[in-house]
Amino acid sequence: MISFELNGKTVQVDAAPDTPLLWTVRDHLNLKGSKFGCGMGLCGSCSMLVDGESTRTCILPLSAVQGRNVTTIEGIGNPQMLSTLQQAWVDTSVAQCGYCQSGQLVSATALLAKNNNPTDEQIEQAMSGNICRCGTYPDIKKAIKSAAKELRSGNGRLQTVEYFNPKTATAQEV
Amino acid sequence: MTTPTIEQNQIKNLDTNTNNVSPSRRNFLKNLSLAGGGLMVGLPLNACASGQLPSSTDDALQPNALLQITSDNKINFYVPRSEMGQGIYTGLTTIVAEELDINPKAINIIHASAHEDYNNPEYGMQITGGSTSVRTHFLPLRHLAANTRLVLRQAASQQLNLDLASITTDNGKVIVNGKALPYGDFANFANTLDFPENAALKDKSQFKYMGKMAPRLDGMDKSTGTAEFGIDVDFEGLYRTALKRSPVFGGTVKSFDSKQAESMPGVKAVVKIHNGVAVVAEHYYQAKNALTALKVEWDLPETLSKFSSDSTDSDNGKGMFVTALNSDDSTNSFEQGNGLDGLESSDSVITGEYWAPYLAHSTMEPMNCTAKIDGDKMEIWVGTQAPNISKLTAAFHADIDPDNVTVNSKYLGGGFGRRSGTDFVAEAAAIAKVSGLPVQLVWSREDDIQNDLYRPASLARFQVGLNQQGLIDTWTVKRSGPQIMPYTLDTMIDAMLPSFLPNAMVDWLSKRGYGIFNSLTVDHTSVEGLYEDYDAVNKSSDHVTADPGVPLGYWRAVGHSFSGFFKESMMDEIAISQKQDAVEYRLKNLTKNPKLANTLKVAAEKAGWKKPLPKGHFHGVAAHSSFNSHVTQIAEVSVTNNQLKIHKIVCVVDCGLAINPGIVQAQMESGIIYGLSAALSGEITFKDGVVQQSNFHDYPALRMNETPEIEVIIVDSDDAPTGVGEPGLPPVAAAVANAIYAATGKRLRSLPLKLS
Repeated sequence: MISFELNGKTVQVDAAPDTPLLWTVRDHLNLKGSKFGCGMGLCGSCSMLVDGESTRTCILPLSAVQGRNVTTIEGIGNPQMLSTLQQAWVDTSVAQCGYCQSGQLVSATALLAKNNNPTDEQIEQAMSGNICRCGTYPDIKKAIKSAAKELRSGNGRLQTVEYFNPKTATAQEV
Repeated sequence: MTTPTIEQNQIKNLDTNTNNVSPSRRNFLKNLSLAGGGLMVGLPLNACASGQLPSSTDDALQPNALLQITSDNKINFYVPRSEMGQGIYTGLTTIVAEELDINPKAINIIHASAHEDYNNPEYGMQITGGSTSVRTHFLPLRHLAANTRLVLRQAASQQLNLDLASITTDNGKVIVNGKALPYGDFANFANTLDFPENAALKDKSQFKYMGKMAPRLDGMDKSTGTAEFGIDVDFEGLYRTALKRSPVFGGTVKSFDSKQAESMPGVKAVVKIHNGVAVVAEHYYQAKNALTALKVEWDLPETLSKFSSDSTDSDNGKGMFVTALNSDDSTNSFEQGNGLDGLESSDSVITGEYWAPYLAHSTMEPMNCTAKIDGDKMEIWVGTQAPNISKLTAAFHADIDPDNVTVNSKYLGGGFGRRSGTDFVAEAAAIAKVSGLPVQLVWSREDDIQNDLYRPASLARFQVGLNQQGLIDTWTVKRSGPQIMPYTLDTMIDAMLPSFLPNAMVDWLSKRGYGIFNSLTVDHTSVEGLYEDYDAVNKSSDHVTADPGVPLGYWRAVGHSFSGFFKESMMDEIAISQKQDAVEYRLKNLTKNPKLANTLKVAAEKAGWKKPLPKGHFHGVAAHSSFNSHVTQIAEVSVTNNQLKIHKIVCVVDCGLAINPGIVQAQMESGIIYGLSAALSGEITFKDGVVQQSNFHDYPALRMNETPEIEVIIVDSDDAPTGVGEPGLPPVAAAVANAIYAATGKRLRSLPLKLS
């Protein structure tokens, strides 16, 4: 039995320790927002925040997250309560097919958590691990910049469901 | 264009002929080259051929299978085309919303199931592709929505005994004496009235939603991880499956040993199906792990097993294409004026030869399909460009009556033509049938790259004759390579041949059958885009089949994906040979294609063509018409130490009325980036028939840090909308190659573009 924090809640999973975190979250914990793209850590569709770092979970064994803090797209925000980046994604119409966008949002969240005023080059570097075959890169860049501006003004929030209280089962704003 | 009149008995003839002529109807069909698109199939949009509507409910106004207004005021739109990123979910809903007079956001959008009422009006079958969706649904949907709005007003008029003219609408409400009542209040009464046919359509000046910037309607789902793709389908008792296929396409299982695999964790069953051996397990990674323990011996196909891309033999590798191109055994697909003979009277002749390789689609979501059989009934869940063919395919492979198969359409994690194939549906259905278990088949990325339905490799040679003024008087081209249509037919033919041939398939076959029986032996997608755009008194286009047996499918922009590069590189070479400016020379030869000419002019102005660029930067231009739209792109590049950097692409598109300009812009960017991935690194190669690439490390996709700045300009137009999903792709490789020539003097005539 391996336990870790998932979206602010302690979870215990009965799966083989070498099970990739991605499949643990998708198949055992039934959170489908994180996607399978390549199985080799090359495309970033499976990205989750592991202790705040955007991490390729299709090659990360479950055993590696024992006791650590994991955040998926579902822990960043939801349709009732969007994070500032998600709001920018909706307003900019970033998504085309949408399949890679959970991973893109996770990497963008990790970037803005460290740097709320990134240059074009810093955005490109931070996002270079996430492939989008639809080519939404220009709009991703636009949305990240608009969200960063919002954050700098003090109005934004990178995560809206960071503190999940399992007792009341309601998401609370940061 | 006239609609060919094809009787159903010709289809029976086709069936009979295939059985009589050859013991293998698959090979018979493969040997035929069939006529491609362009023929219109008439389709009644207000009538239902089968009587019962696929989405009917008692308590609603429902003029046809697409639109439903319930008495509790739900405005349901069953979107007939598949959403794969191109934005059709938003685009078609916006069209309906405009004439229905309601905010698009208030419409409840539902993915259509498999049914002939959702056929693509152009193809007569339920297919999303060919950049046809907005173009072909534009008028029918406007009429549908306008007539629906009228019948709601008529209902209000009769129910309230008021003059029809006094009753207006505003954003989903019927306005009566200043009072706003929801459409749903009149749904049931409206349903008892004769549905009108001639409601007036809005004038462009009255548009509230069409032509305006507005966020995509699927943006929320797709920014929160809540959009459900095929791969996300899950239910109690569902097993996962992974399949081991022949290393060479078309191979079959000779023998297999499953002992070790069966003993691995989570494994429920190991089953043999038509093209391989599948492991069914509790979880996907268990099935995938167990595959590695599976030992399979294969009977490999003879022809493809001999094919190696790097062979220098004249009947192998690229040599096969060269030999075919040099043979006299070609078939003419188009001729105008004196055709090839025109060259004899030309003042000078310029020749150029170009190559494009096989390509994989690599959609972000790997192929997958979920199948559940319950007695004589079956349900499938799949993201597909072809729901009805998916149904027939699943029915055939599970041996179930198609009428008993339910298709649940999901969001597509990318299509680009790949999901018009149903090979993965066949596999899932077969595994569910043989194992007796509900299964979700998930392809790995390696499965995806090595078992694609590839963009055909192509080789073409132009011979272009110029008159004394240096203008084009004769344009001739000959292309060698395999053709897509026989493979598309081949993958579907099993599903088509049973005696219960359904109407959609009959319609479709009849159209293709038209080609078979009229000796139109060149698939139009083999030559499209090679000869149409520029003026010439004499034109000819010829094709020679060279086919090693690699499975083929539709890849974004199809024939235009290579012909745009070929034709626009050739045009650059001609302009340079005449010492003329590349934009001005094109314009001189574009008098019969004014829309394309206009995009050239606008692009030249926006990009600052012929104006000074930063030191070491060079421009290249390409213009191409495809899918009824017209696009010019100008690339700005620099080459330093043999390293290419693309700084900027300016793109001008004329696609008629842009229903949602933001989506048009995004589709241009998308086509450019997808096209750049192919232009810079896309190449599928074979060694003894085995695909040499396997994942994003050796079949790379452009990343954000490699993507140039892109500026898109949409030409303002009052004309009806035309294609946008594909037309942004064809010019980009040539624009970059032409800029590389300007920068280095190196003419790159092969894709992908390699500087050394």
